Amino acid sequence: MIMRINAFLLLTLLVSQATAFAQEEATSDTTVQEKPKEKPVRPAFESGLLFDAATTTLYPSKTLEFVIQHRFGVINVNDNNYDMAGIWGTANIRLGLNYSILKNLMVGVGTTKFNKMEDLQLKYRIIEQTRSNSIPVTIVLYEVVGIDGSPDSKWDGTPDAVTTKSYKFGNRMSYFTQLMVSRRFNDQLSLQVGGAFTHYNCVDSVYNHDRVSVSFAGRYKFTPQMSFILSGDFPLDLKNIQDYKKDAASNTVIYDKPNIAAGVEIATSAHAFHIYVASAQGILPQESTMWNKNDFFHGGILIGLNITRLWNF
Amino acid sequence: MKKSINLIAIICTAIMFIAANAAMAQKAGGPWTVPAKYKAMKTTVKAGDPSINTVGKDLFSKNCKSCHGAKGLGDGPKAANLKTSTGNFSTAKFQANSDGELYYMSFVGRDEMPNFEKKILDEADRWAVIGYIRTLKK
Repeated sequence: MIMRINAFLLLTLLVSQATAFAQEEATSDTTVQEKPKEKPVRPAFESGLLFDAATTTLYPSKTLEFVIQHRFGVINVNDNNYDMAGIWGTANIRLGLNYSILKNLMVGVGTTKFNKMEDLQLKYRIIEQTRSNSIPVTIVLYEVVGIDGSPDSKWDGTPDAVTTKSYKFGNRMSYFTQLMVSRRFNDQLSLQVGGAFTHYNCVDSVYNHDRVSVSFAGRYKFTPQMSFILSGDFPLDLKNIQDYKKDAASNTVIYDKPNIAAGVEIATSAHAFHIYVASAQGILPQESTMWNKNDFFHGGILIGLNITRLWNF
Repeated sequence: MKKSINLIAIICTAIMFIAANAAMAQKAGGPWTVPAKYKAMKTTVKAGDPSINTVGKDLFSKNCKSCHGAKGLGDGPKAANLKTSTGNFSTAKFQANSDGELYYMSFVGRDEMPNFEKKILDEADRWAVIGYIRTLKK
């Protein structure tokens, strides 16, 4: 008898609990609102390229980009030199192909005239700015691996070689690693800052292997298709990563000038065109960071042209 | 004799000129077959929305103006190179197309009219462009 009563009571409790839960579920169903999906902002920059540097912009997946970067010679104001604003001087050029594997991952290859540099590139977007400003910035990681294509004799230990040791393939390698942070403030203004580490596997004994740099870039869109663009890449003189002390050889050429560039961008559906002046001629970011001796404010100016073309598959 | 040869030469040149122009003349695009899914679509951006004259106009300028012209009259600089006429967005006949039909023609495209689904990814941005095209009505 008691067992039956207990069983009945237990059953009653269990059923009433289930009913109570059901009520809670009914209540929660009627009040649940789905959080609206966050929308990313429109791209901060019209192109993934800004002068020599990358921007935080990546294209939709399965997009192929062809890049032509051209840098004329230094605009020479010296009367002894027969030149026309550097156009007749020695020019550098890079051809590159970039492919967006995913919407946040791009890989690229390229070839540059100076030092016959071949490069492999990777750009990865870590986080993306949202329209609601819940994420206020876009953060992108950018890596360029450079392979110097000069003859082996550049590193084979002979009197004119860069190193006294014998040639190794690794001597050709250089690395540029950059973290970029950008913000699209409005439809007209976007700004970007970045910090980078450059490493060359093999350099002459009077130079350093490593360099840290900071960069600033911005664009101001003044028509639907045209923008003013500006950037500065500043190598820093950090004593604790230097393996060579500058004052040991007084006639050593100092390569520590920033690469400053300013110009105009014209963007269409499939193209971006840059017409600008810059101070570095290396084109590849590690070359500009490590080996620029042109002072933008003392005649070290070169005219540059970039063209990019997109195909969507 | 000389006069006859000259006359024949002039007539032949004129015929060749006219024939070449006729061959290069643009054909009007035929009627579009718009799938039912697109026909049923309605804009999410109402007339007068501020995005029409900012985002919509900007995207139209960047992606459409080079062929369709700044006012959609089909007189963009690239239009002359196309085999198909780029149409006239200001006419009542064009504007009589439904929102969904305009959407399909603008973003899915056909033949010489490219697909813009990967160029303009955001749905609201696409409707802002359609909203701007609606303002081109005479």
